[in-house]
Amino acid sequence: MTDAVLKIENLQTYYGKSHILHGVSMEVAEGEIVTLLGRNGAGKTTTLRSLSGLTPPREGRIEIFGNDTTRWPAYRIARLGVGYVPEGRRIFPNLTVLENLAVPMTRPGPWTVDKVLELFPNLGTRRDSWGRQLSGGEQEMLAIARALLVNPKLLLLDEPSQGLAPLLVREVFRVVASMREQGISILLVEQNARFGLEVADRVYVLNDGQMIHSGPARELAKDEERVRALAGVGGKEDGVLTAKPKTSAA
Amino acid sequence: MELLLFDAFNGLIQGTFYALMALGLSLIISLNSVINFAHGGFMVVGAYLAYTLAPYIGFWGALFAGPILAGFIGIIVERTLVRYMYGRPDPIYSLLLTFGFALIIEDVVRTIWGAQGLPFEIPSALNSPVSTTYFFVTGYRLFVIAAIALATIALFAFLRLSRFGIRIRAGILDLETVSTLGVNVYLLRSVNFAIGTLLAGFAGVLAAGILQLAPTMGDDVIMATFVAVVVGGIGSLLGSVLGGLLIGLAAGVTTAYYPAASDVVIYIIMAVVLIVRPRGLLGQEGLFE
Repeated sequence: MTDAVLKIENLQTYYGKSHILHGVSMEVAEGEIVTLLGRNGAGKTTTLRSLSGLTPPREGRIEIFGNDTTRWPAYRIARLGVGYVPEGRRIFPNLTVLENLAVPMTRPGPWTVDKVLELFPNLGTRRDSWGRQLSGGEQEMLAIARALLVNPKLLLLDEPSQGLAPLLVREVFRVVASMREQGISILLVEQNARFGLEVADRVYVLNDGQMIHSGPARELAKDEERVRALAGVGGKEDGVLTAKPKTSAA
Repeated sequence: MELLLFDAFNGLIQGTFYALMALGLSLIISLNSVINFAHGGFMVVGAYLAYTLAPYIGFWGALFAGPILAGFIGIIVERTLVRYMYGRPDPIYSLLLTFGFALIIEDVVRTIWGAQGLPFEIPSALNSPVSTTYFFVTGYRLFVIAAIALATIALFAFLRLSRFGIRIRAGILDLETVSTLGVNVYLLRSVNFAIGTLLAGFAGVLAAGILQLAPTMGDDVIMATFVAVVVGGIGSLLGSVLGGLLIGLAAGVTTAYYPAASDVVIYIIMAVVLIVRPRGLLGQEGLFE
Protein backbone atom coordinates (compact mmCIF):
# COMPACT_ATOMS: atom_id res chain seq x y z
CA MET A 1 0.00 0.00 0.00
CA THR A 2 1.59 3.24 -1.05
CA ASP A 3 -1.10 5.53 0.33
CA ALA A 4 -0.70 4.40 3.92
CA VAL A 5 -1.31 7.21 6.40
CA LEU A 6 0.08 5.04 9.17
CA LYS A 7 2.66 2.33 8.93
CA ILE A 8 4.24 0.68 11.92
CA GLU A 9 6.95 -1.95 11.73
CA ASN A 10 8.19 -4.34 14.35
CA LEU A 11 7.27 -2.27 17.42
CA GLN A 12 8.90 -3.39 20.65
CA THR A 13 7.40 -1.42 23.48
CA TYR A 14 8.08 -1.69 27.20
CA TYR A 15 6.54 -0.28 30.35
CA GLY A 16 9.62 -0.06 32.48
CA LYS A 17 10.94 -3.59 32.44
CA SER A 18 7.84 -5.37 31.21
CA HIS A 19 7.93 -6.11 27.52
CA ILE A 20 4.43 -5.43 26.13
CA LEU A 21 4.66 -5.31 22.33
CA HIS A 22 6.69 -8.02 20.64
CA GLY A 23 7.13 -6.87 17.07
CA VAL A 24 3.80 -5.34 16.11
CA SER A 25 3.38 -4.26 12.49
CA MET A 26 0.31 -2.79 10.84
CA GLU A 27 -0.93 -0.25 8.31
CA VAL A 28 -3.84 2.11 7.90
CA ALA A 29 -4.61 3.35 4.40
CA GLU A 30 -6.07 6.75 3.60
CA GLY A 31 -9.80 6.92 4.29
CA GLU A 32 -9.81 3.52 5.91
CA ILE A 33 -11.33 2.42 9.20
CA VAL A 34 -9.20 -0.22 10.85
CA THR A 35 -10.20 -1.99 14.04
CA LEU A 36 -7.71 -3.48 16.44
CA LEU A 37 -9.20 -6.27 18.52
CA GLY A 38 -7.73 -8.33 21.28
CA ARG A 39 -8.17 -9.62 24.80
CA ASN A 40 -7.71 -7.43 27.77
CA GLY A 41 -3.98 -6.86 28.20
CA ALA A 42 -3.15 -7.91 24.64
CA GLY A 43 -1.35 -4.62 24.00
CA LYS A 44 -4.02 -2.65 22.13
CA THR A 45 -3.76 0.49 24.24
CA THR A 46 0.02 0.20 24.29
CA THR A 47 0.00 0.16 20.50
CA LEU A 48 -1.98 3.41 20.42
CA ARG A 49 0.25 4.94 23.12
CA SER A 50 3.32 3.98 21.11
CA LEU A 51 2.21 5.59 17.93
CA SER A 52 0.80 8.71 19.57
CA GLY A 53 4.19 9.34 21.17
CA LEU A 54 3.16 8.74 24.79
CA THR A 55 5.10 5.49 25.21
CA PRO A 56 7.69 5.45 22.43
CA PRO A 57 8.80 1.99 21.32
CA ARG A 58 12.26 0.81 22.20
CA GLU A 59 12.65 -0.68 18.76
CA GLY A 60 10.75 -0.51 15.52
CA ARG A 61 9.58 2.27 13.26
CA ILE A 62 6.45 4.40 13.07
CA GLU A 63 5.62 6.32 9.93
CA ILE A 64 2.72 8.75 9.87
CA PHE A 65 1.86 10.58 6.63
CA GLY A 66 5.32 9.63 5.38
CA ASN A 67 7.20 11.08 8.40
CA ASP A 68 9.29 8.89 10.65
CA THR A 69 7.68 9.86 13.96
CA THR A 70 9.18 7.06 16.05
CA ARG A 71 11.03 9.44 18.38
CA TRP A 72 8.76 12.46 18.14
CA PRO A 73 7.14 13.93 21.25
CA ALA A 74 3.37 13.49 21.43
CA TYR A 75 2.55 17.13 20.72
CA ARG A 76 4.43 17.12 17.41
CA ILE A 77 2.65 13.96 16.30
CA ALA A 78 -0.68 15.58 17.16
CA ARG A 79 0.28 18.64 15.15
CA LEU A 80 0.84 16.43 12.10
CA GLY A 81 -2.90 15.80 12.22
CA VAL A 82 -3.33 12.88 14.59
CA GLY A 83 -6.32 13.00 16.93
CA TYR A 84 -6.25 10.79 20.00
CA VAL A 85 -9.26 9.76 22.07
CA PRO A 86 -7.72 8.00 25.03
CA GLU A 87 -9.03 5.06 26.99
CA GLY A 88 -11.34 6.26 29.72
CA ARG A 89 -11.86 9.58 27.83
CA ARG A 90 -9.63 11.55 30.18
CA ILE A 91 -11.79 14.62 30.15
CA PHE A 92 -10.32 17.42 32.23
CA PRO A 93 -12.68 17.27 35.22
CA ASN A 94 -11.69 20.69 36.57
CA LEU A 95 -12.48 22.43 33.27
CA THR A 96 -15.85 23.27 31.77
CA VAL A 97 -16.96 21.75 28.47
CA LEU A 98 -15.96 24.91 26.61
CA GLU A 99 -12.63 25.04 28.45
CA ASN A 100 -11.99 21.40 27.55
CA LEU A 101 -12.48 22.45 23.94
CA ALA A 102 -10.05 25.35 24.35
CA VAL A 103 -7.14 23.05 25.21
CA PRO A 104 -6.34 21.60 21.75
CA MET A 105 -3.88 23.38 19.51
CA THR A 106 -6.18 23.83 16.55
CA ARG A 107 -4.77 23.14 13.11
CA PRO A 108 -6.45 24.84 10.20
CA GLY A 109 -9.35 22.74 8.92
CA PRO A 110 -13.08 22.29 8.92
CA TRP A 111 -13.52 21.65 12.66
CA THR A 112 -14.21 24.56 14.98
CA VAL A 113 -15.81 24.73 18.41
CA ASP A 114 -19.11 25.68 16.80
CA LYS A 115 -18.89 22.76 14.38
CA VAL A 116 -18.20 20.12 17.02
CA LEU A 117 -21.03 21.48 19.17
CA GLU A 118 -23.25 21.11 16.13
CA LEU A 119 -22.14 17.50 15.78
CA PHE A 120 -22.82 16.87 19.47
CA PRO A 121 -25.78 19.08 20.41
CA ASN A 122 -25.81 17.62 23.93
CA LEU A 123 -22.46 19.18 24.62
CA GLY A 124 -23.77 22.52 23.46
CA THR A 125 -26.45 22.55 26.11
CA ARG A 126 -23.87 21.67 28.75
CA ARG A 127 -21.16 24.02 27.61
CA ASP A 128 -20.64 25.57 31.03
CA SER A 129 -20.83 22.31 33.01
CA TRP A 130 -17.67 20.98 34.62
CA GLY A 131 -16.08 17.97 32.97
CA ARG A 132 -16.63 15.94 36.13
CA GLN A 133 -20.38 16.54 35.96
CA LEU A 134 -20.80 14.89 32.56
CA SER A 135 -22.23 11.42 32.04
CA GLY A 136 -20.09 8.72 30.46
CA GLY A 137 -21.70 9.30 27.07
CA GLU A 138 -21.22 13.05 27.25
CA GLN A 139 -17.60 12.54 28.26
CA GLU A 140 -17.05 10.30 25.25
CA MET A 141 -18.58 12.90 22.94
CA LEU A 142 -16.42 15.59 24.52
CA ALA A 143 -13.28 13.47 24.11
CA ILE A 144 -14.07 12.95 20.42
CA ALA A 145 -14.97 16.63 19.95
CA ARG A 146 -11.72 17.67 21.63
CA ALA A 147 -9.69 15.40 19.33
CA LEU A 148 -11.55 16.67 16.25
CA LEU A 149 -10.46 20.24 17.02
CA VAL A 150 -6.91 19.19 16.16
CA ASN A 151 -8.44 18.71 12.67
CA PRO A 152 -6.99 15.23 12.38
CA LYS A 153 -6.40 13.30 9.21
CA LEU A 154 -5.92 10.22 11.36
CA LEU A 155 -8.05 9.54 14.42
CA LEU A 156 -7.02 7.07 17.11
CA LEU A 157 -9.92 5.86 19.24
CA ASP A 158 -9.30 3.76 22.32
CA GLU A 159 -12.43 1.83 23.35
CA PRO A 160 -14.99 4.54 22.70
CA SER A 161 -17.86 2.18 23.55
CA GLN A 162 -16.48 1.26 26.98
CA GLY A 163 -19.12 1.52 29.68
CA LEU A 164 -21.74 3.09 27.44
CA ALA A 165 -25.38 2.09 27.11
CA PRO A 166 -26.27 0.42 23.78
CA LEU A 167 -28.00 3.50 22.44
CA LEU A 168 -24.91 5.60 23.08
CA VAL A 169 -22.67 2.98 21.52
CA ARG A 170 -24.80 3.35 18.38
CA GLU A 171 -24.37 7.09 18.54
CA VAL A 172 -20.60 6.81 18.88
CA PHE A 173 -20.38 4.49 15.91
CA ARG A 174 -22.61 6.70 13.82
CA VAL A 175 -20.14 9.50 14.46
CA VAL A 176 -17.14 7.27 13.73
CA ALA A 177 -18.66 6.20 10.45
CA SER A 178 -19.39 9.81 9.51
CA MET A 179 -15.74 10.71 10.11
CA ARG A 180 -14.80 8.54 7.19
CA GLU A 181 -16.97 10.66 4.92
CA GLN A 182 -14.87 13.62 6.05
CA GLY A 183 -11.79 11.83 4.73
CA ILE A 184 -10.45 10.97 8.19
CA SER A 185 -8.68 7.65 8.53
CA ILE A 186 -9.47 5.82 11.75
CA LEU A 187 -7.70 3.32 13.92
CA LEU A 188 -10.18 1.94 16.42
CA VAL A 189 -9.34 -0.17 19.43
CA GLU A 190 -12.32 -2.13 20.69
CA GLN A 191 -13.33 -4.77 23.18
CA ASN A 192 -16.77 -4.73 21.67
CA ALA A 193 -15.99 -6.95 18.70
CA ARG A 194 -19.42 -6.75 17.13
CA PHE A 195 -19.36 -3.02 16.68
CA GLY A 196 -15.66 -2.91 15.99
CA LEU A 197 -16.16 -5.28 13.07
CA GLU A 198 -19.34 -3.69 11.84
CA VAL A 199 -17.84 -0.28 11.29
CA ALA A 200 -14.38 -1.32 10.02
CA ASP A 201 -12.90 -2.07 6.62
CA ARG A 202 -10.09 -4.17 7.95
CA VAL A 203 -9.27 -5.74 11.26
CA TYR A 204 -6.15 -6.73 13.16
CA VAL A 205 -6.15 -8.97 16.21
CA LEU A 206 -3.50 -8.67 18.90
CA ASN A 207 -2.66 -11.30 21.45
CA ASP A 208 0.14 -11.10 24.02
CA GLY A 209 1.75 -8.25 22.13
CA GLN A 210 1.78 -9.97 18.75
CA MET A 211 -0.47 -9.73 15.71
CA ILE A 212 -2.27 -13.00 15.30
CA HIS A 213 -4.69 -12.03 12.57
CA SER A 214 -5.26 -9.43 9.90
CA GLY A 215 -7.83 -9.28 7.16
CA PRO A 216 -11.08 -7.76 5.91
CA ALA A 217 -13.52 -6.99 8.72
CA ARG A 218 -16.55 -8.34 6.89
CA GLU A 219 -14.99 -11.79 6.57
CA LEU A 220 -14.30 -12.05 10.28
CA ALA A 221 -17.64 -10.57 11.28
CA LYS A 222 -19.39 -13.57 9.75
CA ASP A 223 -17.40 -16.06 11.79
CA GLU A 224 -18.35 -15.59 15.41
CA GLU A 225 -16.50 -18.68 16.61
CA ARG A 226 -13.33 -17.38 15.03
CA VAL A 227 -13.74 -13.98 16.67
CA ARG A 228 -14.16 -15.62 20.04
CA ALA A 229 -11.12 -17.80 19.50
CA LEU A 230 -8.95 -14.92 18.31
CA ALA A 231 -10.00 -12.06 20.50
CA GLY A 232 -11.74 -13.73 23.39
CA VAL A 233 -14.79 -11.58 22.79
CA GLY A 234 -17.80 -12.67 20.85
CA GLY A 235 -20.60 -11.05 18.98
CA LYS A 236 -23.57 -11.67 21.18
CA GLU A 237 -22.86 -12.53 24.79
CA ASP A 238 -19.91 -10.23 24.95
CA GLY A 239 -21.66 -7.53 23.05
CA VAL A 240 -22.58 -4.09 24.19
CA LEU A 241 -23.84 -4.73 27.66
CA THR A 242 -20.89 -6.71 28.90
CA ALA A 243 -18.24 -4.71 27.07
CA LYS A 244 -16.61 -3.62 30.31
CA PRO A 245 -13.77 -6.08 30.65
CA LYS A 246 -12.07 -4.32 33.53
CA THR A 247 -15.04 -4.53 35.84
CA SER A 248 -16.30 -7.96 34.92
CA ALA A 249 -14.96 -10.59 37.29
CA ALA A 250 -13.87 -13.85 35.74
CA MET B 1 -6.78 46.32 71.77
CA GLU B 2 -4.52 48.54 69.70
CA LEU B 3 -1.68 46.14 70.24
CA LEU B 4 -3.81 43.27 69.03
CA LEU B 5 -4.81 45.26 65.94
CA PHE B 6 -1.18 46.14 65.34
CA ASP B 7 -0.10 42.52 65.53
CA ALA B 8 -3.04 41.26 63.52
CA PHE B 9 -2.36 43.80 60.79
CA ASN B 10 1.29 42.82 60.72
CA GLY B 11 0.18 39.22 60.50
CA LEU B 12 -2.13 40.03 57.62
CA ILE B 13 0.72 41.71 55.74
CA GLN B 14 2.92 38.73 56.44
CA GLY B 15 0.10 36.48 55.30
CA THR B 16 -0.28 38.25 51.97
CA PHE B 17 3.40 37.62 51.31
CA TYR B 18 3.02 33.96 52.23
CA ALA B 19 -0.02 33.77 49.97
CA LEU B 20 1.78 35.28 46.97
CA MET B 21 4.81 33.05 47.49
CA ALA B 22 2.61 30.00 48.02
CA LEU B 23 0.72 30.71 44.79
CA GLY B 24 3.89 30.55 42.71
CA LEU B 25 5.18 27.55 44.60
CA SER B 26 1.86 25.80 44.18
CA LEU B 27 1.78 26.45 40.42
CA ILE B 28 5.26 24.95 40.09
CA ILE B 29 4.49 21.94 42.30
CA SER B 30 1.27 21.26 40.39
CA LEU B 31 2.43 21.50 36.79
CA ASN B 32 6.20 21.00 36.99
CA SER B 33 5.98 18.39 39.77
CA VAL B 34 8.98 20.03 41.36
CA ILE B 35 9.14 21.19 44.97
CA ASN B 36 11.06 24.37 44.40
CA PHE B 37 13.26 25.01 47.42
CA ALA B 38 14.86 27.86 45.46
CA HIS B 39 11.57 29.77 45.51
CA GLY B 40 12.84 32.03 48.30
CA GLY B 41 15.95 32.59 46.22
CA PHE B 42 13.90 33.97 43.34
CA MET B 43 12.24 36.32 45.80
CA VAL B 44 15.68 37.61 46.83
CA VAL B 45 16.82 37.93 43.21
CA GLY B 46 13.73 39.95 42.30
CA ALA B 47 14.26 42.26 45.26
CA TYR B 48 17.97 42.90 44.65
CA LEU B 49 17.52 43.44 40.92
CA ALA B 50 14.80 45.97 41.67
CA TYR B 51 17.12 47.65 44.19
CA THR B 52 19.87 47.91 41.58
CA LEU B 53 17.57 49.19 38.86
CA ALA B 54 15.55 51.61 40.99
CA PRO B 55 18.07 54.53 40.73
CA TYR B 56 17.73 54.38 36.94
CA ILE B 57 14.09 53.52 36.35
CA GLY B 58 12.53 54.57 39.64
CA PHE B 59 10.50 52.63 42.15
CA TRP B 60 7.61 51.98 39.80
CA GLY B 61 9.81 50.77 36.99
CA ALA B 62 11.75 48.54 39.37
CA LEU B 63 8.52 47.15 40.79
CA PHE B 64 7.82 45.65 37.36
CA ALA B 65 11.36 45.05 36.10
CA GLY B 66 12.50 43.07 39.17
CA PRO B 67 9.78 40.41 38.93
CA ILE B 68 10.04 40.16 35.14
CA LEU B 69 13.78 39.53 35.42
CA ALA B 70 13.14 36.95 38.15
CA GLY B 71 10.73 35.25 35.74
CA PHE B 72 13.31 35.41 32.98
CA ILE B 73 15.93 33.79 35.22
CA GLY B 74 13.26 31.23 36.12
CA ILE B 75 12.92 30.23 32.46
CA ILE B 76 16.68 29.85 32.11
CA VAL B 77 16.89 27.71 35.25
CA GLU B 78 13.97 25.57 34.11
CA ARG B 79 15.41 25.06 30.64
CA THR B 80 18.93 24.27 31.79
CA LEU B 81 18.41 22.42 35.09
CA VAL B 82 14.91 21.72 36.33
CA ARG B 83 13.59 20.02 33.20
CA TYR B 84 16.04 17.17 33.62
CA MET B 85 14.22 16.27 36.82
CA TYR B 86 10.85 15.66 35.14
CA GLY B 87 11.55 12.09 34.11
CA ARG B 88 12.64 11.09 37.60
CA PRO B 89 9.84 9.69 39.72
CA ASP B 90 11.80 10.15 42.96
CA PRO B 91 11.33 13.76 44.18
CA ILE B 92 14.64 13.66 46.04
CA TYR B 93 16.51 14.73 42.88
CA SER B 94 14.52 17.90 42.34
CA LEU B 95 14.66 18.64 46.08
CA LEU B 96 18.45 18.37 46.07
CA LEU B 97 18.75 20.41 42.91
CA THR B 98 16.55 23.28 44.03
CA PHE B 99 17.94 23.22 47.58
CA GLY B 100 21.46 23.49 46.17
CA PHE B 101 20.33 26.22 43.86
CA ALA B 102 18.84 28.14 46.78
CA LEU B 103 22.23 28.09 48.52
CA ILE B 104 23.96 29.20 45.33
CA ILE B 105 21.57 32.14 44.87
CA GLU B 106 22.11 33.25 48.44
CA ASP B 107 25.89 33.21 48.07
CA VAL B 108 25.86 34.90 44.69
CA VAL B 109 23.71 37.67 46.16
CA ARG B 110 26.09 37.97 49.11
CA THR B 111 29.04 38.18 46.73
CA ILE B 112 27.50 40.83 44.48
CA TRP B 113 25.61 43.01 46.94
CA GLY B 114 27.29 42.16 50.26
CA ALA B 115 26.05 40.46 53.40
CA GLN B 116 24.82 43.65 55.07
CA GLY B 117 21.23 44.68 54.82
CA LEU B 118 20.47 47.39 52.26
CA PRO B 119 17.65 49.94 52.44
CA PHE B 120 15.09 50.00 49.64
CA GLU B 121 13.66 53.46 49.00
CA ILE B 122 9.95 53.68 48.49
CA PRO B 123 8.12 56.80 47.27
CA SER B 124 7.58 59.13 50.22
CA ALA B 125 3.94 59.52 49.21
CA LEU B 126 3.43 55.89 50.20
CA ASN B 127 5.40 56.10 53.40
CA SER B 128 3.25 58.16 55.73
CA PRO B 129 0.89 56.66 58.28
CA VAL B 130 -2.76 56.84 57.37
CA SER B 131 -3.76 58.03 60.85
CA THR B 132 -2.07 58.79 64.16
CA THR B 133 -4.10 56.26 66.13
CA TYR B 134 -3.32 53.47 63.72
CA PHE B 135 0.28 54.57 63.15
CA PHE B 136 1.20 51.12 61.83
CA VAL B 137 -1.15 51.39 58.87
CA THR B 138 1.12 53.17 56.41
CA GLY B 139 0.20 53.95 52.86
CA TYR B 140 2.83 51.51 51.69
CA ARG B 141 1.37 48.63 53.68
CA LEU B 142 -2.06 49.28 52.23
CA PHE B 143 -0.42 49.48 48.84
CA VAL B 144 1.25 46.10 49.40
CA ILE B 145 -2.08 44.47 50.25
CA ALA B 146 -3.72 46.01 47.18
CA ALA B 147 -0.81 45.05 44.89
CA ILE B 148 -0.81 41.44 46.08
CA ALA B 149 -4.59 41.21 45.80
CA LEU B 150 -4.36 42.61 42.27
CA ALA B 151 -1.60 40.17 41.29
CA THR B 152 -3.65 37.28 42.67
CA ILE B 153 -6.77 38.34 40.79
CA ALA B 154 -4.74 38.82 37.61
CA LEU B 155 -3.31 35.31 37.94
CA PHE B 156 -6.72 33.73 38.46
CA ALA B 157 -8.15 35.69 35.53
CA PHE B 158 -5.25 34.52 33.37
CA LEU B 159 -5.87 30.90 34.37
CA ARG B 160 -9.61 31.19 33.79
CA LEU B 161 -9.78 33.29 30.64
CA SER B 162 -6.68 32.76 28.51
CA ARG B 163 -6.06 29.66 26.43
CA PHE B 164 -2.61 29.36 27.88
CA GLY B 165 -4.02 29.51 31.40
CA ILE B 166 -6.69 26.94 30.61
CA ARG B 167 -3.96 24.64 29.29
CA ILE B 168 -2.00 25.08 32.52
CA ARG B 169 -5.08 24.07 34.54
CA ALA B 170 -5.66 21.09 32.26
CA GLY B 171 -1.99 20.10 32.52
CA ILE B 172 -2.08 20.18 36.31
CA LEU B 173 -4.38 17.17 36.25
CA ASP B 174 -3.36 15.42 33.04
CA LEU B 175 -0.33 16.72 31.19
CA GLU B 176 -0.15 13.64 29.00
CA THR B 177 -3.57 14.22 27.48
CA VAL B 178 -2.74 17.89 26.96
CA SER B 179 0.30 16.81 24.92
CA THR B 180 -1.81 14.53 22.70
CA LEU B 181 -3.89 17.59 21.80
CA GLY B 182 -0.89 19.22 20.14
CA VAL B 183 0.13 21.49 23.00
CA ASN B 184 3.85 21.93 23.49
CA VAL B 185 3.96 20.86 27.12
CA TYR B 186 7.66 21.62 27.44
CA LEU B 187 6.95 25.26 26.68
CA LEU B 188 3.91 25.15 28.94
CA ARG B 189 6.05 23.98 31.85
CA SER B 190 8.80 26.54 31.19
CA VAL B 191 6.38 29.43 31.13
CA ASN B 192 4.59 28.10 34.19
CA PHE B 193 7.86 27.94 36.11
CA ALA B 194 8.60 31.50 35.03
CA ILE B 195 5.18 32.70 36.21
CA GLY B 196 5.93 31.12 39.59
CA THR B 197 9.32 32.77 39.93
CA LEU B 198 7.90 36.07 38.67
CA LEU B 199 5.39 36.04 41.52
CA ALA B 200 8.24 35.29 43.95
CA GLY B 201 10.20 38.22 42.54
CA PHE B 202 7.16 40.48 42.96
CA ALA B 203 6.86 39.40 46.59
CA GLY B 204 10.56 40.18 46.97
CA VAL B 205 10.33 43.75 45.70
CA LEU B 206 7.27 44.49 47.83
CA ALA B 207 8.90 42.95 50.91
CA ALA B 208 12.05 44.99 50.35
CA GLY B 209 10.02 48.14 50.92
CA ILE B 210 8.94 46.99 54.37
CA LEU B 211 11.97 45.13 55.63
CA GLN B 212 15.34 45.84 54.22
CA LEU B 213 17.18 43.80 51.67
CA ALA B 214 19.23 40.90 52.97
CA PRO B 215 20.62 37.80 51.22
CA THR B 216 18.72 35.65 53.71
CA MET B 217 15.33 37.32 53.32
CA GLY B 218 14.10 34.30 51.34
CA ASP B 219 14.94 31.88 54.15
CA ASP B 220 12.54 33.57 56.55
CA VAL B 221 9.65 33.14 54.15
CA ILE B 222 10.22 29.83 52.42
CA MET B 223 9.32 27.50 55.29
CA ALA B 224 6.14 29.40 56.05
CA THR B 225 5.35 29.28 52.33
CA PHE B 226 5.59 25.50 52.33
CA VAL B 227 3.35 25.40 55.37
CA ALA B 228 0.84 27.65 53.56
CA VAL B 229 0.77 25.29 50.56
CA VAL B 230 0.28 22.22 52.74
CA VAL B 231 -2.39 23.88 54.91
CA GLY B 232 -4.24 25.13 51.84
CA GLY B 233 -4.01 21.79 50.11
CA ILE B 234 -1.45 20.74 47.50
CA GLY B 235 -2.87 21.25 44.04
CA SER B 236 -5.26 24.02 45.05
CA LEU B 237 -4.18 27.55 44.16
CA LEU B 238 -7.02 29.15 46.05
CA GLY B 239 -6.08 26.95 49.01
CA SER B 240 -2.54 28.33 48.90
CA VAL B 241 -3.87 31.87 49.15
CA LEU B 242 -6.12 30.98 52.08
CA GLY B 243 -3.35 28.98 53.74
CA GLY B 244 -0.94 31.90 53.47
CA LEU B 245 -3.39 34.43 54.90
CA LEU B 246 -4.43 32.04 57.67
CA ILE B 247 -0.98 31.26 58.99
CA GLY B 248 0.16 34.89 58.66
CA LEU B 249 -2.81 36.11 60.62
CA ALA B 250 -2.44 33.34 63.19
CA ALA B 251 1.22 34.17 63.74
CA GLY B 252 0.32 37.87 64.11
CA VAL B 253 -2.44 37.30 66.63
CA THR B 254 -0.25 34.91 68.60
CA THR B 255 2.42 37.61 68.80
CA ALA B 256 -0.04 39.82 70.68
CA TYR B 257 -0.59 37.26 73.42
CA TYR B 258 2.49 35.11 73.52
CA PRO B 259 5.24 36.36 71.19
CA ALA B 260 7.53 33.39 71.78
CA ALA B 261 4.99 31.03 70.20
CA SER B 262 4.45 33.03 67.01
CA ASP B 263 6.93 30.95 65.01
CA VAL B 264 5.61 27.69 66.32
CA VAL B 265 1.93 28.38 65.81
CA ILE B 266 2.07 27.91 62.03
CA TYR B 267 3.49 24.41 62.46
CA ILE B 268 0.82 23.62 65.01
CA ILE B 269 -1.80 24.71 62.47
CA MET B 270 -0.17 22.51 59.86
CA ALA B 271 -0.11 19.52 62.21
CA VAL B 272 -3.77 19.99 63.13
CA VAL B 273 -4.81 20.35 59.49
CA LEU B 274 -2.84 17.27 58.50
CA ILE B 275 -4.44 15.22 61.25
CA VAL B 276 -8.01 16.43 60.76
CA ARG B 277 -7.95 16.91 57.01
CA PRO B 278 -4.83 15.45 55.40
CA ARG B 279 -5.63 16.85 51.96
CA GLY B 280 -5.48 20.42 53.30
CA LEU B 281 -8.26 22.99 53.36
CA LEU B 282 -9.08 22.92 49.64
CA GLY B 283 -6.86 20.10 48.42
CA GLN B 284 -8.07 17.30 46.22
CA GLU B 285 -9.23 14.12 47.73
CA GLY B 286 -6.92 11.17 47.63
CA LEU B 287 -3.63 12.95 47.19
CA PHE B 288 -2.47 12.13 50.68
CA GLU B 289 -5.25 9.95 52.01
